[in-house]
Amino acid sequence: MAIPVNPLSQSTMSSPSMQEYLLQGSILDSALESLLHRLRGLCDNVEGPETFHDHEMVYILRGTPSPAILRARHALDHPNIPWQLRYVGQSEVGDKNRSTLVRSCIDCATSDNLSSFLVEMGFRLDHEYVIKGYLFRKGRMKITVSKLFRVISPGVTEEIEAVSLSHLVELSVVAPAGQDAVGDDMRSFAEHLKPIVQMEKMDPKRL
Amino acid sequence: MGVTCVCQWPVPDNKSVQQVVDMIAKRVELLGSNKSGTFCVDCETYQSSPMMMLQKTVHIIHNSEQPMTSYAVMEGPGSAANCLVADTMFDQIMQRLKGFYMPKKTPKVESKGQHYELGDFNVKIGTVTLGGHAKGILLEIEYTPCVVVLDCWNLLTEFMQGFMASHTPSLPSYLANRQDANYTPMDTIMQYLDHFNTFTGRKVVQQPAR
Amino acid sequence: MAENLETVNSALAATQKLRCSVTRVFTHLREGVKSTKGEVSKESMFIRQLQEALTAVTSDFSELEKLSSSLHKFTDGIPMGNSGLLSLDPVQDKTPMYTQLLQSYKWSTKLQSHASLAGAMLTQNSLKRTSVPSGGLSAKRRKTQPTCHATPAHLVDNVVTTVDRSFNDLSLTVNRPQGTGAVLQATVGRTLSAIVILRGLLIERVIVRGYHENLHKDNGTLDLWTPSKYRVFQKLTDHAMAAMLHYHLPHLPEIGIRSFMTWLHSYTTLFSTACHRCGKYLNGNIPPTWRDFRTLEVCHENCRQ
Repeated sequence: MAIPVNPLSQSTMSSPSMQEYLLQGSILDSALESLLHRLRGLCDNVEGPETFHDHEMVYILRGTPSPAILRARHALDHPNIPWQLRYVGQSEVGDKNRSTLVRSCIDCATSDNLSSFLVEMGFRLDHEYVIKGYLFRKGRMKITVSKLFRVISPGVTEEIEAVSLSHLVELSVVAPAGQDAVGDDMRSFAEHLKPIVQMEKMDPKRL
Repeated sequence: MGVTCVCQWPVPDNKSVQQVVDMIAKRVELLGSNKSGTFCVDCETYQSSPMMMLQKTVHIIHNSEQPMTSYAVMEGPGSAANCLVADTMFDQIMQRLKGFYMPKKTPKVESKGQHYELGDFNVKIGTVTLGGHAKGILLEIEYTPCVVVLDCWNLLTEFMQGFMASHTPSLPSYLANRQDANYTPMDTIMQYLDHFNTFTGRKVVQQPAR
Repeated sequence: MAENLETVNSALAATQKLRCSVTRVFTHLREGVKSTKGEVSKESMFIRQLQEALTAVTSDFSELEKLSSSLHKFTDGIPMGNSGLLSLDPVQDKTPMYTQLLQSYKWSTKLQSHASLAGAMLTQNSLKRTSVPSGGLSAKRRKTQPTCHATPAHLVDNVVTTVDRSFNDLSLTVNRPQGTGAVLQATVGRTLSAIVILRGLLIERVIVRGYHENLHKDNGTLDLWTPSKYRVFQKLTDHAMAAMLHYHLPHLPEIGIRSFMTWLHSYTTLFSTACHRCGKYLNGNIPPTWRDFRTLEVCHENCRQ
């Protein structure tokens, strides 16, 4: 017997809103090996890090009072896995007591016609980039070490050039709202990465 | 997941929806089918806000056969219906777009009912409700082993004639455009949407072939 | 048994008696001669007493010997060999070995008798998998026959590629999950997919599934066992088994495999062709699943006769 399911009540109503806790840092390419080496020792991935090679497109829908921004991302090295649509809320960086940047975030897997769908909804492509790097896990923490590439001609992900001579390091956890202990865990983990990299909460408004 | 036909069963004036549903259920049971649970297909409609230049409608449809999936169908003047298959988190993203897309004031449409199995065929008898009021009946007939409409339409027709007699539908216009493609659950959703649109009295948007 | 028991009893008594007399000899010896002054009379008395004790031992011994010879060997009476000893084990509750042994003996006897019956039965109705009468194999054929299940891999590949090329909507891919034996994945149009297991060029097993059903298990290996969840394809698997036997030509394996694939290919129209006999698509909610082995005529399984 199939269990009667009411999909609406199951998902939207009951699942709590998720928040992303984020710390960021940056290293020069020359320091990459020593950071990877340190992470290999600290993290759960026994057989070394996973690599990823993604293409991210940021779509924007202008309006008042503030525009809506959605991020569409898909893996270039695994063309068959679903696309990812991500909504990232306003970051609550101002709160001094918090050890990390906290922002609400919704992740959603979709079919591959995502970009044309967003365009039809009225969104415009704001910018796009290719990101290549390594992924580590430690408990519920996700650590990525990645390099950003500029896409030279729109939509062509083969022709890319590096944005800078450094790698982006991100330490993040997606957890239900209100679990602030997560932030402290992340802080103490970030301590272990010193002095190779200094992890900080970035204020996107300052940039 | 196989080729599916969704069609409407007329309700005569002198009978209630429930009476007709019971009558069809009895016929299907007499054929030797087994009850295999209930199902529900629901549709929520979002309308683009007047500030936006474009007049667009987004339907979010759920099918209990794929409980973790949301189907978002975009309709707008001059554009083909575009269907995005996503997981149910998409509903939350739609809520974040409140300033741009607002849920329509009209009540939610859904088709709910009993699910029957007969060999490789599935028959679903759904009562269509609009804000809690029964509006009509939608039948869903699925032939599970086959994925190409062109191949099994005649066979499906023969099966439907077995219990639908004169109410047997002709090939739905949506399927007529996709006869040679591999059938996907999305195609079932699009058929439901066509029917829901007639029930809610919205102008039926002609869907050109994609 | 009763007299036997009596003899055993008296033999036991005799043993005890013998033991007594032997003990007496040794106690006597241990005590030794009481005086150390070398009196001859005492010494000779000691020797005489020792002699007496020894005679008693001899007579007791000969008595025991006589009795034991009258007892026949106990285990000889039981025809079960060593297992009979198990039955004598008094602690039956602890070791149910003997009863288990009897049980298994009973089963093996039963099995033997059934097998011999079945053997007799089968020799009467022999199942012929070849068109060649089993007795009349010519010397030449007998020589070629064993080679067909040991065809080299490249030959199998060649045959498969030619078959693959000769049909438009039949695609075949070769896998060798266990090294030598080839496993073919066949996809017929957009109707069905099948797994054909080969031994050399002979078809050993066929399993038919839907076009959209998985041929692989979650871990990526071919799923050779799970039957299709659809009735049509379960029925087709049965028919494919029958076809496999029908097209079994051990001396011309290439033709066998090609005819089987031709037959399988005729299922492209499984859902779109009505039965040639009754003119309908459905019979018992199943489309015409039968294809004649010679003419490939389409009909329902029930319409065949």
